[in-house]
Amino acid sequence: MAIVEQPSTSVEARELEAGPRHASPDEALGVFKRPQGDTGWRSWLFTVDHKKIGIMYGAAALFFFLIGGVEALIIRTQLAAPEQELISADLYNQLFTMHGVTMIFLVVMPIGSAFMNYLIPLQIGARDVAFPRLNAFSFWCFLFGGIFFNSSWFLGGGTADGGWFAYAPNTSVVFSPSHGMDFYAIGLQITGIATLVGAVNLIATCLNLRAPGMTLMKMPVFTWMSLVTQFLLLFAMPVISVALFLLTFDRLFGANFFNVSAGADPLLWEHLFWIFGHPEVYIMILPAFGIVSETLPVFARKPIFGYEFIVFSGAAIGFMGWGVWAHHMFASGMGPISVAAFAVSTMFIAVPTGVKILNWMATMWGGKLSFTTPMLFSIGLVTMFTIGGLSGVSHAVAPADTQQTDTYYIVAHFHYVLFGGALFAFVGGFYYWWPKAFGLMLRENLGKAHFWVMLLGFNLTFGPMHVLGLQGMPRRTHSYFDGYGFNVWNMVATIGAYLIALSFLIFFWNIFVSWRDSKKVGWVPPGPDPWDARTIEWMTASPAPSHNFDHVPVVTHRDEFWYRKYGETDDHRIVRIAAAEEVAQTGARTDVHLPAPSYWPIVLCASFPLIGWGLIFNLGIAFVGGAIALLALFGLAMEPADDPDAGHGDHHDDHHGPDAGPEAAAADADADKEATLVD
Amino acid sequence: MHRFRPLTSRRVRGLGLLTAAGLLLSGCGNISLDGDTPQTTLEPKGPVAEKIDGLWDLTFWMAVVVFILVEFGVLFVAWKFRKRKDDTGEELPEQLHGNTKLEIGWTALPAVILAFLAVFTVSTVLDIAEEPEDSTRIRVVGQQWWWSYDYDLDGDGVYADDDVVQTGIENPEEYETDIEVANEMVIPAGEPVYLEIESRDVIHSFWIPALNGKKDAVPGRTHFLSIEADEPGTFIGQCTEFCGLSHAYMRMVVHALPRDEYDAWIDGQLEDAAEPESPEAAAGQEVFSQRCASCHLVDGLNTEEYNGATVVAGAAPNLTHVASRGSFAGSIFPLWRDTDGNDVVDWDEIGGELNRNQLEAWLRNPPEEKPMAADDNRGMPNLGLSEADIDSLVAYLTSLD
Repeated sequence: MAIVEQPSTSVEARELEAGPRHASPDEALGVFKRPQGDTGWRSWLFTVDHKKIGIMYGAAALFFFLIGGVEALIIRTQLAAPEQELISADLYNQLFTMHGVTMIFLVVMPIGSAFMNYLIPLQIGARDVAFPRLNAFSFWCFLFGGIFFNSSWFLGGGTADGGWFAYAPNTSVVFSPSHGMDFYAIGLQITGIATLVGAVNLIATCLNLRAPGMTLMKMPVFTWMSLVTQFLLLFAMPVISVALFLLTFDRLFGANFFNVSAGADPLLWEHLFWIFGHPEVYIMILPAFGIVSETLPVFARKPIFGYEFIVFSGAAIGFMGWGVWAHHMFASGMGPISVAAFAVSTMFIAVPTGVKILNWMATMWGGKLSFTTPMLFSIGLVTMFTIGGLSGVSHAVAPADTQQTDTYYIVAHFHYVLFGGALFAFVGGFYYWWPKAFGLMLRENLGKAHFWVMLLGFNLTFGPMHVLGLQGMPRRTHSYFDGYGFNVWNMVATIGAYLIALSFLIFFWNIFVSWRDSKKVGWVPPGPDPWDARTIEWMTASPAPSHNFDHVPVVTHRDEFWYRKYGETDDHRIVRIAAAEEVAQTGARTDVHLPAPSYWPIVLCASFPLIGWGLIFNLGIAFVGGAIALLALFGLAMEPADDPDAGHGDHHDDHHGPDAGPEAAAADADADKEATLVD
Repeated sequence: MHRFRPLTSRRVRGLGLLTAAGLLLSGCGNISLDGDTPQTTLEPKGPVAEKIDGLWDLTFWMAVVVFILVEFGVLFVAWKFRKRKDDTGEELPEQLHGNTKLEIGWTALPAVILAFLAVFTVSTVLDIAEEPEDSTRIRVVGQQWWWSYDYDLDGDGVYADDDVVQTGIENPEEYETDIEVANEMVIPAGEPVYLEIESRDVIHSFWIPALNGKKDAVPGRTHFLSIEADEPGTFIGQCTEFCGLSHAYMRMVVHALPRDEYDAWIDGQLEDAAEPESPEAAAGQEVFSQRCASCHLVDGLNTEEYNGATVVAGAAPNLTHVASRGSFAGSIFPLWRDTDGNDVVDWDEIGGELNRNQLEAWLRNPPEEKPMAADDNRGMPNLGLSEADIDSLVAYLTSLD
C-alpha cells in the first residue's frame, strides 16, 4: 500500500505514516481480511515490517551461506592434492557453479538486502519502507527463488553445471543435458524479480520518506551507498532478465538465440551477461563500503573524512560501473580497439575506489580508535579490499590480463574483493547492529577470535591463489597434475578454507551463547546506544520497536544523533551535553498506526517455484502455480486497506510518554503534529 | 616499446610479499615450493609473451609500492591513534570533516599514475594485435576436449579438413598438400606464427603461457593470435575457457623446432600413413579399419570413405602420424616417457620409451581414463575391445610415425 502524502509547504512537515489512518474496510470481503497478532510464527510469515523482513533476509542468507560454504569445502578438499578423485568432474562442475551462484545471488546480495531493509528506514527516520507489502513480496520471492534453484539438487538430474557466467553455447541442451541450467535460468529469474521490486521500493523510500530536515546530503553514508546500489540494480537486473529469458527459450522451447549453427554469435551472451555482471560487482561491494563508512567514524570518534567525496565517489562508481564490463572479455576476441577502450575505462574506475580507501584512512587519522569487533572487521575490509583493488588494476592492463584471466589469479582477485571486501564488512555489520536488531550484544572476545581466525584463514585460502594463477593453474578445473608446482599452495589454500569454516563456527557459537547470556539473571541490556554512535537508528530503543520512532526526529545535522549528544563550548571544546538515554526515544509508544500484515505476498511467491517446476517438467503444474498466483494477486488487490479490528492511534492527540531528551524531542513532536496524511 | 627487464627472482620475492599479507614477510624465496612450474606465466619464451611480461613487471612493482604504502599506512594509523589505556573517553579528538584540497590531490594522484599505466597498456594492446610479417599460418580448432591444428601448406586458403565435418571428404587432394594434426603443434623456432583460432562446439581458449596470453576459440568466429618462440623447445598450455566435463583435461603442446627440422617434420607429415610391417601391426590395422576408422582419419587408409566423426563436434583426432606426437587424449597422457623428468615430453623423447600401460588403459575404456559424455556423442566411447585387439592396435598405432 503506497503512502500518499498531501503536498506540504514545509519540509519539516514531511513524515511517513505507514498506512492510512482511517481504514475503510469493505466488510463484505471478509475472506480477504488481514492477519492479526504480532507474536508467534504468523507474525513472521505475514509481516510487512521492514525490520522483520530484514532479519529474515539475513537469516535466509546465512542459511544459504552454509550451503555455499559446504560446497566450497568440498571443492577445496578435492583440490587439496593433485589428481584426487574424491568427486567426479561432473559433480565438481556442478559444485563450483552452485557455489558461485549461491554466494553471489543468495548470500552477498541478500545480506546487503538485510542491512538495507533493516537500516534504511531507521537511518532516514521513516516508519517503514515506501511499499511494505511489496517489501514482503521481495523477500519471499528471493527465498522461494533460492529454494527453487537449490531444489535442482534433488529434482534436476544434476544441478547447473555451466558456471555462474553460463557462457553459451555450453549451456545449451546439447552440452548441458540435465535440467540444471533450466533451474539456473528460472531460479535467477525469480530472484531477479525480487531484486528489481526491492530496488523500486528502496529508491522510493530513500527519495520520499526521509525525516524532516534530512536532505540528501545529510543522509548517512550507508543509506547513500544503498541508494546508488538500488539504482544499479534497477538498470542491471533487466539486462540479466532478458538474457535469462533468451536462455530459457533456447532450452525449453527450441529457440535459436545462442544456436551457432542457426547463425547466433555466442558473444551476445557474454556481453549481456557482463553488462549485468560488472555492475553486479559494485552492487555487492557498495553496501559494504557504506557499512565501514558508518563504523569507522564511530570507533574513531570522528566524523567521516570528506563525506562529499565518499558519497560522490560512490555515485561515480555507480556511473562508471556501466562502462567497464568488457574487461571480463579481453581474451574473447572482440578486437584490439574494444580491448584498449575497456582497459582504459577499467583503470579509471580504480580512482573513485582509491579515494574511498584514502578517506577511510583519513577518518582514522587523529582519532581515538577502539578496536571493537566491528572496527576490526572494518579495518579488515580496508586492508583486504586494497589487495583486491590492486590485483583488479592488473586486470585492467589488458595484455597482462590475457595471461591472468581464467586462472586462479582471478579467483584470488574476486575473493579479495567479495570476501575480503563485502563479507568482512557484512560480518562487521552483524556485530555492529546486532544490539539494535536483537537488543543484545554479541560477545566481544568471541567476536575478536572470529575476526583473527577468519583473517588468517581468508589469506591462507586466497593469497596462494595469486601465485597458482601466475604459475598457470586454470580455474574451473576439477583436478590438476603433479609436476606443475601447484601442490603446496593448493594444500595451503585448503587448510585456509577449513580455518574460515572454523571462524564461522565461532560466529554461530557466539550468536548462541550471547543469546543464552541474555536469558541469565542479572543480564544488563545494552541500551539504545551501546557504541556511542552517530546516526539516528541508535536514537530509538534496542531492539528497535515496530514503529521505529516514538516521534520522527527532525534532522538538522549529518550525524544528527551525535549532535544531540555532543556540543561545542565557547572555547571550541567538544563536550558531551546529554547522555544517550536522555536523547534516545524509549520506543514505549503504543498508539502508532502501522501497516497491517498480509497473507498474500508469501502465497504469491510460493506459486513461483510451481510455475518453474511446471515449465521444466509438466505444464499442468505451471497452470496450478499460475492459478495460485492469480488468486494471490486478487488477494493483494482486494484485501482491505487495513485491519478493521486493530486499534488505531490518532496522531492529533499525541502524547509522547515520558519525554526524553532536550529541546530536539519537542521539535520532533511538533513535526509529528504537523504531519498530515490522507488515505 | 620499452621492455622492462624480467626481474624474476626479485619479482618472485615481491610476490611472496603480497601473498604473505598478514604473515611474516621474510623467507619467501621460491614461491613454487614444490619443483618445476612448466606452465608459468612468469618465464616468457617468446617476444609477445616478453612484452606482456614487461608490462606485468611494471604493473606489479607499482602495485607493490601502493600496497606497502596503504597497508602499512593503515597499520601505522591504527597503531598511532589507538585509544590509550588511560583515556577516559571524555576528551574527543578533533572533529575534522575533511580537507577538499587534500582530497582533490588524492583523487588526481591515482588518476595520473593510472594514466601513465594506460599509455603503456594501450600501446602494447595495439602492438601485439598486429599480424606479423612473413608468418607461418596455422589454424587452431578447439573441440571437446582436444585441439587440432591445420597447416595450409599449399597456400590455397583451403584447409585439409575444411569439409570433413559431418559431410565427408570432398577434396581428398587437399590431404596431399596440407596437413592436419592433433594435440601437439609444431612451429619453426625464431619465426612468427599467426594462429587462426576457431571452435567446433563450445567456447574454448588457446593458451601457451610462455608464448602469449590466451585467446578464446568461439564457434562461428575466427580469432587471431601471434606466437613466436625465441629458441627451440617444448611449451605446454591448457584450455582456459570452461568447456564442460573434461575442461581440466584439454591440454596442448607446442614444439618449436629449428627451421630445417621443422621442414623435415612437414615432409614427414605430408606422407600417407606407413603400411604395417609386422603381422601384429597388420592385425591392428584390421581392427582399426573395423572399429576406429568411422571417427578417426588415417591418410591413405580411409581417406576415400571417411565421412566425419559421429560426435557433436564432427571431428576426432587425425591419427595418420600419431606416433610422432608426445602425448594423446587431449595431451593429458604422455605417449612416450618423460625420461629427463621435467614433466614434459620433449621433442627428443618422442619415439623413445612407449608409455604402453597408459595407452592400453585408454583403449580399454576411455571414459574411465578421462571424463567424457560419450553417451551424448561427446568424447570417445568404450569400444569393448578385447585384450588381443588392444595389443595389435598398440602395435599399429605406434607404427604410425
